[in-house]
Amino acid sequence: MPPRKKRTYATENEPETSSKRLCSKKSADSGFSVKRCTTWFNNYCAENDGSIGPDGIERFCKDLGVEPENIIMLVLAYRMDAKDMGYFTLNEWIKGMTYLQCDCIEKLNNKFDLLNASLSDPVTFKNVYRFAFDFSLENGNRSLDKPTAIALMTLLLDGRWSLFNEFVQFLEQSKFRGINKDQWYNVYEFSRHILPDLSNYDEDGAWPVLLDEFVEWYQQHLSKTSEVGVSI
Amino acid sequence: MSGISKGGKKDTKMRIRAFPITMDEKYVNNIWALLKNAIQEIQKKNNSGLSFEELYRNAYTMVLHKHGEKLYTGLREVVTEHLINKVRVEVVDALRNNFLQVLNSAWNDHQTSMVMIRDILMYMDRVYVQQNNVENVYNLGLMIFRDQIIRFPLVHSHLRDTLLTMVAKERKGEVVDRGSVKNACKMLMILGIDSRSVYEEDFEKPFLIQSAEFYRLESEKFLAENSASVYIKKVEARILEEAERATHYLDKSTEEPIVKVLEDELIRKHMKTIVEMENSGVVHMLKNNKSEDLACMYKLFCRVPDGLRTMCDCISAYLREQGKALVTEDDNGTNAITFIQSLLDLKDRFDHFLHESFSNDRLFKQMISSDFEHFINLNPRSPEYLSLFIDDRLRKGVKGMSEQEIENVLDKSMVLFRFLQEKDVFERYYKQHLAKRLLLNKSVSDDSEKNMISKLKTECGCQFTSKLEGMFKDMTVSNTIMEEFKHHLQQSVTNLNGVELYVRVLTTGFWPFQSSLSKCNMPSAPNMAFEAFRRFYLGKHSGRQLSLQPQHGSADLHATFFGIKRANTGPMDLVDEGAASSSGKSLRRHIIQVSTYHMVILMLFNKKESWSYDEIKNETDIPERDLMRALQSLALGKITQRVLSKDPKTKDIEPDHMFTVNDQFTSKLFRVKIQSVATKGDTEPERNETRNKVDEDRKHEIEAAIVRIMKARKRLQHNVLVAEVTEQLKARFLPSPVVIKKRIEGLIEREYLSRTAEDRKIYTYVA
Repeated sequence: MPPRKKRTYATENEPETSSKRLCSKKSADSGFSVKRCTTWFNNYCAENDGSIGPDGIERFCKDLGVEPENIIMLVLAYRMDAKDMGYFTLNEWIKGMTYLQCDCIEKLNNKFDLLNASLSDPVTFKNVYRFAFDFSLENGNRSLDKPTAIALMTLLLDGRWSLFNEFVQFLEQSKFRGINKDQWYNVYEFSRHILPDLSNYDEDGAWPVLLDEFVEWYQQHLSKTSEVGVSI
Repeated sequence: MSGISKGGKKDTKMRIRAFPITMDEKYVNNIWALLKNAIQEIQKKNNSGLSFEELYRNAYTMVLHKHGEKLYTGLREVVTEHLINKVRVEVVDALRNNFLQVLNSAWNDHQTSMVMIRDILMYMDRVYVQQNNVENVYNLGLMIFRDQIIRFPLVHSHLRDTLLTMVAKERKGEVVDRGSVKNACKMLMILGIDSRSVYEEDFEKPFLIQSAEFYRLESEKFLAENSASVYIKKVEARILEEAERATHYLDKSTEEPIVKVLEDELIRKHMKTIVEMENSGVVHMLKNNKSEDLACMYKLFCRVPDGLRTMCDCISAYLREQGKALVTEDDNGTNAITFIQSLLDLKDRFDHFLHESFSNDRLFKQMISSDFEHFINLNPRSPEYLSLFIDDRLRKGVKGMSEQEIENVLDKSMVLFRFLQEKDVFERYYKQHLAKRLLLNKSVSDDSEKNMISKLKTECGCQFTSKLEGMFKDMTVSNTIMEEFKHHLQQSVTNLNGVELYVRVLTTGFWPFQSSLSKCNMPSAPNMAFEAFRRFYLGKHSGRQLSLQPQHGSADLHATFFGIKRANTGPMDLVDEGAASSSGKSLRRHIIQVSTYHMVILMLFNKKESWSYDEIKNETDIPERDLMRALQSLALGKITQRVLSKDPKTKDIEPDHMFTVNDQFTSKLFRVKIQSVATKGDTEPERNETRNKVDEDRKHEIEAAIVRIMKARKRLQHNVLVAEVTEQLKARFLPSPVVIKKRIEGLIEREYLSRTAEDRKIYTYVA
């Protein structure tokens, strides 16, 4: 997940036990147990409010062997239906892990590829994509600020959309200061339906003005680069 | 007698004899010989010695005995033989000599004899012809005549050529024998039997071809030599001539095709040339107001398809060019009044043409309207200018215009108003100008004002005019309040220190002013007076707030100018409180009519003799821009207006410049009005401000429209929504689809609308 402002927050009496101790080879083969899951949860959470905070998440990621910015974390958060980026509550944890049938780190490791693969399913991906927006919103806001949006988008769309780099370029030089939900959703739709040469883009397609301007910018950009013959 | 034979007795045969069916050959031949002879005599015009009854009977007999065919065939032979051997020979002989006459008399003779022959052979006509479905006698005769005479190659071609030559001659102006042509044509018509094919083939077709050729050449010649109006008249003349020719001595049915040929050759093929002719075409006619020529052209061009359209296009181009020139901003600064007046004049001109030359043709009417709409909107300041124009007309002092004339001008202005796309901009300016008129008491008449408002109401609905009407009401109410105030003053014996106060109370929502942020420091006397009023008013209407609007007020001051500058100057009296203590000559008293800001500034000079700009600014707290303006009109205007003097005597105002009362001030009038250095229209920054406000309002109006539509329709596709919004708002302004889209997005963000899950192009209303 993209770097998030960390809440200052006292971490006392962090549990030292490694999660590995909680999960033996044997238990990796056994069925799902809520109790084990909860214990696993408690491993990471801070004492104060019964939820895993940014520090706990960092440790969790380390245990899992991924960076916190990895898209897997997003998928996990989606399955948990987590409300706030950087925090997991017990309920959310249980919900997500139950879905995945994982109550320890080994099981989760095994599911790793599955989770990644699930992103190839367009429906799942769309849901994760949409979820990511609300998840990243700060309280009370209706839109993501530009840097956050770009970072999040990079995580999700880089490599999955041929025009992604151009879009980011456009965004950065544009006057738009943030992305709202409608725009966010439509970027995805755009990436799915509009061909790289924009041949099936229609002006009456009810695309947000953001995307209309992107198309305009991109077409100018194309003619400029073809004139000058510059490639960056 | 009994015909029944019994036994073998001898029969007495009693048979009714049948009529002898078979005549013997000889008998038949005799009858035929008789008839044949008779026919030939008839053809030789020797019919007097013949007995009709006998011949008829013989023919009858023949047919009855089933010899109709012989009779028929024989008839044909006789007629043919006569025509070939006799008639044709004569006609051919006469080829070079009285051809038409000879032909005509041969034709007449033929007709006459055929009639007689037909009469004799009528029984055959009725019986044999019917039964055997052959041509009747008369028609048979026609056919033979046609085939043997008319269609005989020599005759055929010569006839045609003769006729065409005669027509050609007449076209050139020679006199020809119309009668013979008429007869020939009649003959050809009749020879067609039940159709006009003979006439058509033998005459009309070549006639039309020749005519087309003739007129093609003529048109080119005419065009090269003549101006458009002369050409048109000639064309008209030719058309009449040809129509008359057809009626009089060709066949009537030829009129239509020949006129069509003319229309084609003379008009249609040269439409553009005529219309665009240099120095005489449509543009020239328009420029020189030649309505009659235009009317002729119009009538002529009506005849051909696309004729009017060609004219219309040319006129439209000219009109647009004229209009565009009028609406282009003048580099020296555009005068709104002349701008609008010139547009009105242009409209009048073209309406005149429409009425006089184009008989109110709908095509032209539409063209004029759409052209005006096009170019009036080329200049974004048109709405402002129109409002200024109307403002000018409604102000006092418009000399020499009766109520009726003013009414006319207003009506015409409304016509221009309808062409405006940005009616909401007009509304904004109209409000501003109306406010000024009302407050400065400048209207010619209340009636004219109300009249104008009702016109706008009819055009745009109540929403447009409700605030304007509110302004009027405020004025009336203010008058009432002032009455009450005066009464109150008398009763409570309040002294306003000699200040005659007149307050107008304006309801904030109606008037187009920002609530005044400018508080300037009122001099004490007027301030106290106002406070008295405030107390009075708030006593009547508690819960309301009054804020003084210094930028819209005016004041009358008693001013005394001491002519000679005195060494030891004391404070100057600017308010009528005690006489001036000078005994010097040229002491002048005036009443100066000024704005409130002027008053505030001038009253300072009662305290101190000279003030610097900075000091004035600090003392009065008047906003810089207004202060500049006020000082400019007091000190830097026309000589007759310079109540103040400035040192140094430059055109600009710097913070350290000093102002004093201009004691040398003179004026012929006792009452001197100080004009504000007010620009008639908006300055550039003001214009931008207005434009911004308009855009803000439009955003709200668009959003309101979107919500309204979506609430009613619940679900709507994007394009349809945009179209509906545009439709609803077009009476006020033309929203662009991009702007509408942005508003839709805004509403989605604020969760008034959302996209449907199935189709992102369809929106639904979120309750």
